[in-house]
Amino acid sequence: MSTFLEILSPSYLLFPALLGTAILGLVCPLIGSYLILRRTVFLGLTLPQIAAAGVSFTFWLQQTGFLPQWQQGERGIGMIGSLLFTFLGMGLLGYLEQRRKGIAEGRLAAAYALAGALTILFIVFNPAGQIEVLNLLKGEVIALSKGELRLLATVFGLVLVGMLLFRREFLLTSFDRDLAFLLKGRQIIWDVLLYLLAGVSIAFGVIMAGPLLLFGFLVLPALAARPLVNNMSSFLWLSSLLGLAMAVFGFYSSVRLDLPLGPTDVTLGCCLIFLAYALRRISPRRALGLIVLSSVALWTYGCATPTAPLPEAKALNNQTLWLAKVKNSTGLSLLLPATNPLRSLAEMAGKISSDYRQSVMDLLRDDLRRELEQRGFRVTLPEQTDSRFPAFPADTGNAVRLAREGKLSGLIFVSEIWRWEADSRQFVRVFADFKIVRTDDGSVLWERRIQRAVPTPSATNLGQAYTDSVKEIVRDLFAG
Amino acid sequence: MDRLYCAHLGAVRQLEGMELGQDIDEIQSARGRVSKDDSLPLVSLQNVSLGYDSEPVLQNVDLTIYPGDLIGLAGPNGSGKTTLFRAILGLLPILSGTVSRNCPLSNFGYVPQSAALDPQFPLSTGEVVEMGAYGRIRPYEFFPAAEKKQIGEVLDQVGLRQLAARSFFSLSGGQKQRILIARALMVKPKIMILDEPLSGVDEESRKSISELLVGLTRHSGLAIFFSSHDVPMVRRVADRFLRVDKGKIWWEKKGVELHP
Repeated sequence: MSTFLEILSPSYLLFPALLGTAILGLVCPLIGSYLILRRTVFLGLTLPQIAAAGVSFTFWLQQTGFLPQWQQGERGIGMIGSLLFTFLGMGLLGYLEQRRKGIAEGRLAAAYALAGALTILFIVFNPAGQIEVLNLLKGEVIALSKGELRLLATVFGLVLVGMLLFRREFLLTSFDRDLAFLLKGRQIIWDVLLYLLAGVSIAFGVIMAGPLLLFGFLVLPALAARPLVNNMSSFLWLSSLLGLAMAVFGFYSSVRLDLPLGPTDVTLGCCLIFLAYALRRISPRRALGLIVLSSVALWTYGCATPTAPLPEAKALNNQTLWLAKVKNSTGLSLLLPATNPLRSLAEMAGKISSDYRQSVMDLLRDDLRRELEQRGFRVTLPEQTDSRFPAFPADTGNAVRLAREGKLSGLIFVSEIWRWEADSRQFVRVFADFKIVRTDDGSVLWERRIQRAVPTPSATNLGQAYTDSVKEIVRDLFAG
Repeated sequence: MDRLYCAHLGAVRQLEGMELGQDIDEIQSARGRVSKDDSLPLVSLQNVSLGYDSEPVLQNVDLTIYPGDLIGLAGPNGSGKTTLFRAILGLLPILSGTVSRNCPLSNFGYVPQSAALDPQFPLSTGEVVEMGAYGRIRPYEFFPAAEKKQIGEVLDQVGLRQLAARSFFSLSGGQKQRILIARALMVKPKIMILDEPLSGVDEESRKSISELLVGLTRHSGLAIFFSSHDVPMVRRVADRFLRVDKGKIWWEKKGVELHP
């Protein structure tokens, strides 16, 4: 994956995740706009945290045996907790508001602190599921399945319809409660409806995207839109549009730069706010020109193919290509699990001894060799001349030095893995460099950097996920 | 002085009760627009006590508002003017007495103090005026073309049609008040209640708003009840004139000022 257009293609593997983020980006700012205008923005921070406490609470209950294991999976059980805690929290905060106990900000701050503490405590009580719960709370929207996407689209679609249908009532109740009472009767009905829609969005959004990303989508686009408009309808549609832009460009940046989605989106949202205030200081014509220029630059950058394709073997005069061992710079062993079925097959074939365990580096080099040979390269392994050859780094200078010390002449293919992490069984986050270097003059003939989350949807265990991701990377590497 | 005040209050209350019909008839016939059949009171308060948390702010309030009335309410800040308005509008429960309204609450045009509205809201002038029609539009309806036309007409009435696209909170104090009056007119009200419409505005705006209020009662039969802490101005503009201070409320005759 290298271009912006690719992630917008429905055939792209992460397209459901992109669509889910876009739905959140489109709908959440509409609710956030009212939270900001009603000066209850901290509610947008506190409620997601309360929902997160609900998620960890239900997982803890399940761990202790109070709740049965549910067929619908982790998100299903988490969603129940999220909904329950969100509405309980809203009810309690509403009750305290009615009774006017303490100051509003104080109540929200205390609720936020308590919810944060409870979230951590329930995770600590639940050692068996710590990683799963933490993953859910981080909001792995990237692992959104099609079924979950359908649910998200249905819930947020209904919320969108509600926000559009009752926009006049929500505006009137928020802006002038007295007039709302005279024209529409009891304002409490509209307050309850607005907070109901907010609660449902937050409860579902937290389990799909995590509290940080959800809070970002709720408030940041609306805060960025506010200085640029002077009427309510523009404010709402611009908030929504900025939320969508934040979702799409945040997603693209996250995949391209191998960054976690939540913090990337939130950082982008904050940049939008600064940009909005900067644009406000210049004339509308100049601001429009600047936006168009930036969009063209982003589009050009996003659509550009940053890497050259692998040169053909003939073009390199069929020189010998030394395929060096893959260097592992992750600090992890990256060994395949002992239960890996490939290991059993290899053992049966007598290719490996019973105490040998394959690693990701071995798998990668095997696949690279196969692919290069298929493309007509004369591939030779350095250890065939001297078994002491180490893995070569991707740094050109050091790779050339090692090759010259080992008296390897011609071309050398070097690979280095910087990051290799299985976020869940559905994705492996990879950051690796690949180069073909001429040993005589140290020139780089081809290079590629793979930095992305590689989807492994059909993997049932970690070994299979690693194997699938190696195949996907090699395919990607030679596809350009 | 107390005796004099009580005598005056009694006379005013008598005027307000028995003789008020005649008084209103005179005003209305002078305006030449309302028949006697129309002179049912729009709002009537009888021996009403008002306050917050059982603490009375105003007691023994007797007040009747007829179509075409232009009533001023004068008193210092914190004397209970807004409290009285809120009780009339049903926004504040009364402590005792009776409030009767002969028209639905949706026929009340309310003009709050513009300072009470949150400048955080990005609202155009047109959008603020549009709110007055919200009571007639169901949630699933598009904003009707007839109502859009009506917005232009009420903006014409207050002389600010050219500001329809401007940000409401970027307007001057006087312009904001006129826009809020336009919003109240958009309700198609029978009675309009204005809370301090002349505070925080320059002398020229005070004059133009006062003329606007007088014009509205003279030409459309609208009853207007407005407040101000500027006693001379209220005396000058209003047909009838109420004073409020220190928990008491009393009528004053125009041109005669009697203190409690």
